[in-house]
Amino acid sequence: MRTLIKNIFLIIIITLNSFTVFAKDNLVTDLSESTVEISSTFSGADILLFGAYDGQKNDDIIVVVSGQKGNIKVDKKEKKFGIWMITESIKFSNVPKYYYIASNRKIEEITNKTEIKKRKLNFNNFELNNNKIDYKNLDKKWYEALKRNMKKKQFWKIEENSIKLNKNTLFRKTLSLPSNVSTGMYIVKILHYRKGNLISQEESKIKIDKTGISANIYNIAQNFSAIYGIIAVIIALFFGWFTNFIFRRI
Amino acid sequence: MYIYLPIAEQPINAFIVLGIGWLVGIIMGMVGIGGGFLLTPLMIFFGIPSPVAVASVANQLVAPSVSGVLSHWKSGNVDFKMGTILLVGGVIGSSIGVLIFNILNAIGQLDLVIKLSYVIFLAIIGLLMFVESFKLIIQTKRGKATRGKLHQHNWLHGLPFKTRFRKSKLYISIILPLIIGVIVGILAALMGIGGGFIIVPAMIYLLGMPTSLVIGTSLFQIIFVAANTTILQASQNQTVDIVLALILLIGSVIGVQIGSKFSNLMKGEHLRLFLSFIILLVGFKLILDLVTIPLDIFSISVIK
Repeated sequence: MRTLIKNIFLIIIITLNSFTVFAKDNLVTDLSESTVEISSTFSGADILLFGAYDGQKNDDIIVVVSGQKGNIKVDKKEKKFGIWMITESIKFSNVPKYYYIASNRKIEEITNKTEIKKRKLNFNNFELNNNKIDYKNLDKKWYEALKRNMKKKQFWKIEENSIKLNKNTLFRKTLSLPSNVSTGMYIVKILHYRKGNLISQEESKIKIDKTGISANIYNIAQNFSAIYGIIAVIIALFFGWFTNFIFRRI
Repeated sequence: MYIYLPIAEQPINAFIVLGIGWLVGIIMGMVGIGGGFLLTPLMIFFGIPSPVAVASVANQLVAPSVSGVLSHWKSGNVDFKMGTILLVGGVIGSSIGVLIFNILNAIGQLDLVIKLSYVIFLAIIGLLMFVESFKLIIQTKRGKATRGKLHQHNWLHGLPFKTRFRKSKLYISIILPLIIGVIVGILAALMGIGGGFIIVPAMIYLLGMPTSLVIGTSLFQIIFVAANTTILQASQNQTVDIVLALILLIGSVIGVQIGSKFSNLMKGEHLRLFLSFIILLVGFKLILDLVTIPLDIFSISVIK
């Protein structure tokens, strides 16, 4: 109920806002949340993206959400001695760990190839590196495998036709972050196209962070790992003794 | 209820994991063996990365071992001298095990080795347990029980550094228990198991220890091996998920207590027969995953 009221409130604010600022800027957007906290009960998050734009008929909106970049290892398995084992691996670096594209219709219909390449409106134009020296001759199947698996894990996702435009002035889109999303600063780009040309754009940020006990545990495990191990043992020792103590009395 | 695991970095259904820990605990309590060799593969089936599963199960293992030792100690069934030699070997072994773990991790074959070790061990234990309990059931039906010699003297008793173990009424070389400790330690680190199913027969048949002292003494050494593994895994690989371990251990310690209270309800051999089926089933599922064509021969993982 609280979020509903909040959302309605937001719509009103944005609508009012948009009327006043149209003269200078023809795209105004806002997010229902600018920070996502991964707590111990985290199971994914929905963020509502609101926008108002000074639109004409047949204008288009594309939303791109990109997460932190990192290293991803692609392993290839082959059957050896009757079992499937990893025989070759390639490490890709500079890979966006999260990349989401949404639009109101097919992106190829919205704009041209150069623009798609420039704005990275598909998964084929990232500037990736890998640990094999001969990048040019790297078999395409490795990148295809990376792409396929990132999509399967919902880390890379494209949803064309998923943004509903309302009377050429308003749009909204729910951004669903999966439960295994990585932490960091996420950049939300909202692109407004008219006849294939970008006429305005907006950028927002979402901070995804671990909080609470979950974050503390992670930090201790990373930074004070020996102490963490000792604490883990002490907790187990205590519970072992405690149950013995309890059950002796029953 | 979903709880986010901070190290495995994924949410997990806490009640299901608690339930698994509890059921495995009941089996542990009824049969008197550790449950690591069931818990680790079950956690892997659940989608926990195998390095995290192994390290966290080693952590949880400390708890049921402590409560087990405490009750065996009360009844005077722990040979601390033998236990100490075993644990020295165990601590050395688990340190070697974590080293092997790191090397395998670096060359990217850790997952395969963990699964293969499980397939081999589950097959051996499952079959042995099946044959043994089946024989016993047949024998009791026919009404004749055979009994072997208590302990035989062989070349193992000719080794140097002989010591007297008053509690166990033994005069043997310390080399043998030390080696047994090392082997069990390596397994504990690599597979997240206490190694009860190896150390118990080894203590009875190789060392010739009285059966009454075996479980208490092996549990005593497992505490230290599991603790050493936990600290080493945590400090070198950051793979110990304390939340996962905690959920599992709460389930298992309660299960163990319930299981041991009801252990006389069912005949030991029937219970072992049943357990051997579960073990073989888990092993079969693991081997099936290894030999069937993967849906995608490529897989990805996020690395640092």
